[in-house]
Amino acid sequence: MKNSVVIKGNKYGIMVMLDDKIPFEELKEDIVEKFKESSKFFGEASMAITFEGRKLSLEEEREVLDIISENSDIKVVCVVDNDKKREEVYKESIEKKVADAAYSNGQFYKGTLRNGQVLECESSVVILGDVNPGAKIISTGNVVILGALKGIVYAGITGDASSFVVALEMNPVQIRIGDVIARCADNKSRFKKNKPETKIAFVEDDNIYIEPLSKDVLSDLHF
Amino acid sequence: MSEVIVVTSGKGGVGKTTTTANVGTGLAKLNKKVVLIDTDIGLRNLDLVLGLENRIVYNLVDVVEGNCRAKQAMIKDKRYSNLYLLPSAQTRDKSSVTPEQMLALIEELREEFDYIILDCPAGIEQGFQNAIVGADRALLVTTPEVSAIRDADRIIGLLEACETKKRCDLIVNRIRMDMVKKGEMMTIDDVQDILAIDLIGAVPDDENIVISTNQGEPLVGSDSLAGQAYMNICKRIIGEDVPLLDLSGKKGVFSKISGIFKKN
Repeated sequence: MKNSVVIKGNKYGIMVMLDDKIPFEELKEDIVEKFKESSKFFGEASMAITFEGRKLSLEEEREVLDIISENSDIKVVCVVDNDKKREEVYKESIEKKVADAAYSNGQFYKGTLRNGQVLECESSVVILGDVNPGAKIISTGNVVILGALKGIVYAGITGDASSFVVALEMNPVQIRIGDVIARCADNKSRFKKNKPETKIAFVEDDNIYIEPLSKDVLSDLHF
Repeated sequence: MSEVIVVTSGKGGVGKTTTTANVGTGLAKLNKKVVLIDTDIGLRNLDLVLGLENRIVYNLVDVVEGNCRAKQAMIKDKRYSNLYLLPSAQTRDKSSVTPEQMLALIEELREEFDYIILDCPAGIEQGFQNAIVGADRALLVTTPEVSAIRDADRIIGLLEACETKKRCDLIVNRIRMDMVKKGEMMTIDDVQDILAIDLIGAVPDDENIVISTNQGEPLVGSDSLAGQAYMNICKRIIGEDVPLLDLSGKKGVFSKISGIFKKN
């Protein structure tokens, strides 16, 4: 019995051990034989396939896959790569992409957030409406409110102190950016309004500052 | 085409029941066929405000449980023959009725009445859910106080989240113009600014309301400011365009002239 082709099962499907000593043409014949033998056992199973023991070029890999599908009823869903280095690179780039997407992307919410309503967002968020007292926005990024902010905002909830909050009318009960929390003054009259003015809240030296939105402030933003 | 209106507020004691009684009576005065349903099971008041307590035989729970027919439980008002009251039960609690049962009852009553007005209990629990489930529109009653407005805001949020979108109009109750002028009370604009829904009427704080409530005689349509304000609300409900009442109460020439300018 030749041992140039060995099939093993694993979590996702099968692993095919290939001998790297014999020439490829010979190996192909062995593969034909092996899969013909075991086609009854596998039936029409759909599975992922991994090649081990021999480095296959893209061309060779395709040939092997063709042989498998010709000589058995296995449906190969995908070929799992066992190359550690390549896996690392993929993993890294995917994680980076996800992080970037969460950071630079924003969502829109249209409508007034009312008492008792909570909006949680895994990105920055733009609210087209008011945030009333008792309502809360939680975002991993920035929060921009095209309306009055009278409720609670948590920006950069994952600890990102470079996040900011902008509102056309800034009257928050509580505001939190990264790990810094600020609350509104106690003695403020609750229904006497100051003139509405667009303001921005940001963190500097572990303090939250609220300032009128001006070009100078905008150019100082780093995010 | 009949309309189902729920009178709600979230907070207690802002005037839901008084508003229900007056709006219902006012619509009856305008020759509409009206039924008022008290959904505040266990804490019934609407019958008192209408002065119909002594006529109660069956109640809302009897109807949904099938102990009697809806016709038997409905009490005809002593002043208007086209106004009916379906009282709530006093010895049961809110869980005695399910939203499905309310819906079925309302569908049955729709056949016969122009307006079905539901007096909602305070809170946002089962009683509230029962009251709003079949409603086409809501009258949101609030007073110009931060606590009442905060609760009203929550109610609007809950009504907006309903599957069936309901039109929601605001009634600002118990306004005291003298305090507003001194800056000690929120103005109607301040309230509207926060709640951001259409205003259908503002009712002044009026001692006549207390008297009428205690006597069981709704004052809608009377000469008092509150009576006029409620009548205006009724007219707006049936689709008439009525200008907002001048609540300052002064009958001076100057205020009359300025009132004319405001209307334009």
